[in-house]
Amino acid sequence: MDIRKLTMPAMALVLFYCVYQSEKLTRVENPPGPIHITYWEKWTEFEGDAIRAVVDEYNRKQNKVHVDLLTVSDIEKKTLLAVSGGNPPDVAGLYGPNVAQYADDHAVMELDAYCKQYNITRDNYIPIYFDIGYYNGHVYSLPTTPASTALHYNKQLFREAGLDPEKPPVTIEEMDQLAEKVVTRKNGHIDKSGFMPAEPGWWNWGWGFVFGGRLWDPATGKITANCPENIRAYNWVRSYTDRYGASELSTFRSGFGNFSSPQNAFLSGKVAMEMQGVWMYNFIDQYAPGMEKPVLNWAAVPFPHPADRPDLAETTFADEDILVIPRGSRHPKEAFEFIAYVQSQEGMELLCMGQRKHSPLAKVSPDFIKKHPNPYITVFSELPKNKNVISPPKIGIWPEYQAEMNAAFEQVALGKKTAKEALDYVQNRVSLMNEDYQAQLKARKEAGQ
Amino acid sequence: MTTAVNTRRKKGGPGRQRNAWLLHLVLLAFSVLFLFPLVWLVSTSLKRSDQAMQMPPVWIPHPLEWHNYKDAFMYHHDVLGYIPFLQYGENTVILAVLTVAGAVCSNALVAYAFARLRWKGRDAIFALTLATMMVPFPVTMVPIYALYKNLGWVGTFRPLWVGFWFGGAFNIFLLRQFFRTIPLELSEAAKIDGCSEFEIFRMVILPLAKPALSVVALFTFLGTWNDFLGPLIYLVNPKTFTLGLGLQAYQNQHGGTPWNLVMAATTIVVAPVIVLFFFAQKQFIQGIAVTGLKG
Amino acid sequence: MSNSKRETRTALLFVSPWIIGFLVFLAYPLSASIYYSFCNYSVLKAPVWVGMANYRNLVQDDVFRTTLVNTLIYALMSLPVGMAVAIGLAMMLNAKIKGQTIYRTIFYVPSLVPGVPLAVLWLWVFNGKQGIINAVLQPLLDHVASALSIVGFHGHLNAPQWLSDAAWAKPALVIMSAWGAGNAMLIYLAGLQDVPQPLYEAADLDGAGWWSKTWNVTLPMLSPVILFNGIMGIIGALQVFTIPYIMFPGGSPARSTYFYAMYLYDNAFVYLKMGYACAMGWIMFAITVILTVAAHKLSDRYVHYGGS
Repeated sequence: MDIRKLTMPAMALVLFYCVYQSEKLTRVENPPGPIHITYWEKWTEFEGDAIRAVVDEYNRKQNKVHVDLLTVSDIEKKTLLAVSGGNPPDVAGLYGPNVAQYADDHAVMELDAYCKQYNITRDNYIPIYFDIGYYNGHVYSLPTTPASTALHYNKQLFREAGLDPEKPPVTIEEMDQLAEKVVTRKNGHIDKSGFMPAEPGWWNWGWGFVFGGRLWDPATGKITANCPENIRAYNWVRSYTDRYGASELSTFRSGFGNFSSPQNAFLSGKVAMEMQGVWMYNFIDQYAPGMEKPVLNWAAVPFPHPADRPDLAETTFADEDILVIPRGSRHPKEAFEFIAYVQSQEGMELLCMGQRKHSPLAKVSPDFIKKHPNPYITVFSELPKNKNVISPPKIGIWPEYQAEMNAAFEQVALGKKTAKEALDYVQNRVSLMNEDYQAQLKARKEAGQ
Repeated sequence: MTTAVNTRRKKGGPGRQRNAWLLHLVLLAFSVLFLFPLVWLVSTSLKRSDQAMQMPPVWIPHPLEWHNYKDAFMYHHDVLGYIPFLQYGENTVILAVLTVAGAVCSNALVAYAFARLRWKGRDAIFALTLATMMVPFPVTMVPIYALYKNLGWVGTFRPLWVGFWFGGAFNIFLLRQFFRTIPLELSEAAKIDGCSEFEIFRMVILPLAKPALSVVALFTFLGTWNDFLGPLIYLVNPKTFTLGLGLQAYQNQHGGTPWNLVMAATTIVVAPVIVLFFFAQKQFIQGIAVTGLKG
Repeated sequence: MSNSKRETRTALLFVSPWIIGFLVFLAYPLSASIYYSFCNYSVLKAPVWVGMANYRNLVQDDVFRTTLVNTLIYALMSLPVGMAVAIGLAMMLNAKIKGQTIYRTIFYVPSLVPGVPLAVLWLWVFNGKQGIINAVLQPLLDHVASALSIVGFHGHLNAPQWLSDAAWAKPALVIMSAWGAGNAMLIYLAGLQDVPQPLYEAADLDGAGWWSKTWNVTLPMLSPVILFNGIMGIIGALQVFTIPYIMFPGGSPARSTYFYAMYLYDNAFVYLKMGYACAMGWIMFAITVILTVAAHKLSDRYVHYGGS
């Protein structure tokens, strides 16, 4: 028999198999038994393990709903794409600052009715952690793990520089002085540094807050990128560039490894002081055990404030990861049932202990604090209760605004623009953008959307 | 025209190699420049993670850590951050089969009509077809996305392959050029034997056009294997990612990955393309020459 | 039914996939794109007509201008460099030299490396501290510096921070693109081998040297291929996306690598300003057309179409 006669049918067969398989791989299954809901989350590694434990516990406790957990990178972009494509997950674990944009785009559901049903109110929480999900009079998200920031410092580096490790800086000016003393050089290049405004780089847009600045006025909705405090903050950023040189700093920084690695700037003892969040302990534990044992060689204290602004003491960034129900979810009711479990003291403490953060809830079991491995956990759980707690602006154009602020930061830090130039530019650009955006929102509302 | 590359001249071009050794020297220097990133890629992929970061660099890893490749596939297999590289591979291969089959079938048909049939409006439509090559993809990106969205196809593989079954200007052009080189007498003889146009197409033209068809197949395969923007827009569920998208996610994971594993994963994505090239070198080079020459 | 009518009908059957493809994937999207470019369109909601607002905003949008300028600069840098490398290599290979196939393969293989792995690989190669380029470059520069100290230069020569220095990020991308010149090299090689031999023989008789032959015979005969490659290169460079998107998130450092297609993508799929993105797309189209026409106009003067 002629083998060649078989090629056509064989190819057709392969083709059909591929079509079949391509459909099967992307089909949404609806098996009998419990309702399956899809839950996208961004966390990996031990943070992922913590949420997995919560999901497993939830799946074990009841048999009506089964949560399928999936790890998704770039989750805030992917979820928006999935919603606009009409194919979203039932629950998504986004970031707190995403709420406004998602709400304005009608990409997430309002949760007010569900909250009422499950008796979830602001009183249950440390207020800021509820407020992050509250926008234009509606609840759009509820927290998973919260964060607050504090100054982390390396006592060993303090000692090496002849500083008192028990005397962390209280004011920005003190910090700058201490930082200068920590700097050491090798072959003419910086080898160790005391403080770098660009590290870890997650709040480059927000240094103004530390100096009492604001990015927007909630009452009027006006953009305030170039308010004097913000300019002062970026001038302070620029002072580091002027002192050490832009290219010297970037050479130094390029030697840092990934955040989550022993080569991390703080963990490898390259930078003595950093603003960091409650999660930092985990990375110390994992990658720099020498900082913990035999003696505790690091500490977390409230971030310094400008000497002339004592009223800004204990300023902290509060942020949180959140759960939302994307619009187009096939099982919103079941999705919320799961969210409600995460909001219970049991679910929340399981999760937050797993990620070794504090709890966003107002009520915390005594055991939680007692058993918590982070020696400074109360610093982080108390800071967000004070009046100087700050969270990112709740405006729909925040992604663009943040990108602009980060770009301005870079230009200032690279010495390409002065603080005022950079921020005036942001002010103009983002104000226009914001006006345009508000007008479009209004137009859409009038068009009945 | 298809033999352009293989036509060897009898005499040398400008500057016959009076200075052959000099030429070799320059070519060797360039060879080193062109090869060293790839050598570095493979070398890093076989290193221990501490060796990967070592300065001055270690060129030949010692010991050879072959299990990096297994680790790249199984990275965090036991925990949540697992990156299902095998699954990505399967997805990519499935897509490649569907796009290659689609491109070969549809473009051959269309090119046949442009090359071998006489009909009203042919030349005008062909000119229009060529003009479409100039439209940059980003111009049509949004409406096509909206179209697939309205069909409910976002999140499925369909947006990434269905379009290939409706032809593409570049491939039509390439095949048409080739079809025109096949003597018309062959078709006429077949017609006298009572063959229909489709039979002529299938029995006479296709078998003779294998080199050109394989060029289309190769280019389509490469296009699918290398595509990033398409999967980035249309694939949302991580289980459905392609290798390229997966590799980006790999590199992007919050945790960060040791470079040796990333390089192993990179090698895994690059290797099939290079292996394919060695098997199909002749067609490849012919194809490039053909497509470039008669613009 | 007449013969020609039947043939037309058969032909239409054959081209029907393309007719459908053309209508669905080109004609419709192009017209829809025009419409959307006059709308506020988030894809989640129906488009709302806003007139010229998107185009007006584009004119005022500095980031739009930055990305456009970045893209043009990148095109102007990468095009000549890539061409010089590709033509240079092709001419060297065109000399009847031993091992031509091996060289050809070596130069071609890098252009096969897909975009994502390419970006990931070069991130590693260009890394300021652990990257291989600087590992080779820095000792060289140190030697140069110590040599210079004889003439009174005291100081350090530092290898560039390719990925974090706004001045070096674009050159880094240009180097990467030159690394992928193998594709174009093959096209030039084929073009060179098509140059009629008698022309060289005639030049030989005139006693022309290598330089003069290259200038008066090779390049003119190659000019149509150069033109074609140039146009394709412009179109390609204007759309550059994958590699900077992966290597330079957000176009860092200081937006020096924020390219047109990246901003367009961000507008469409991150900020969901689809209408704005469509307007950007049309401007890109217009630029492509203008540049192509300009290249053709230029070619009337300089390009030599031999034989016809």
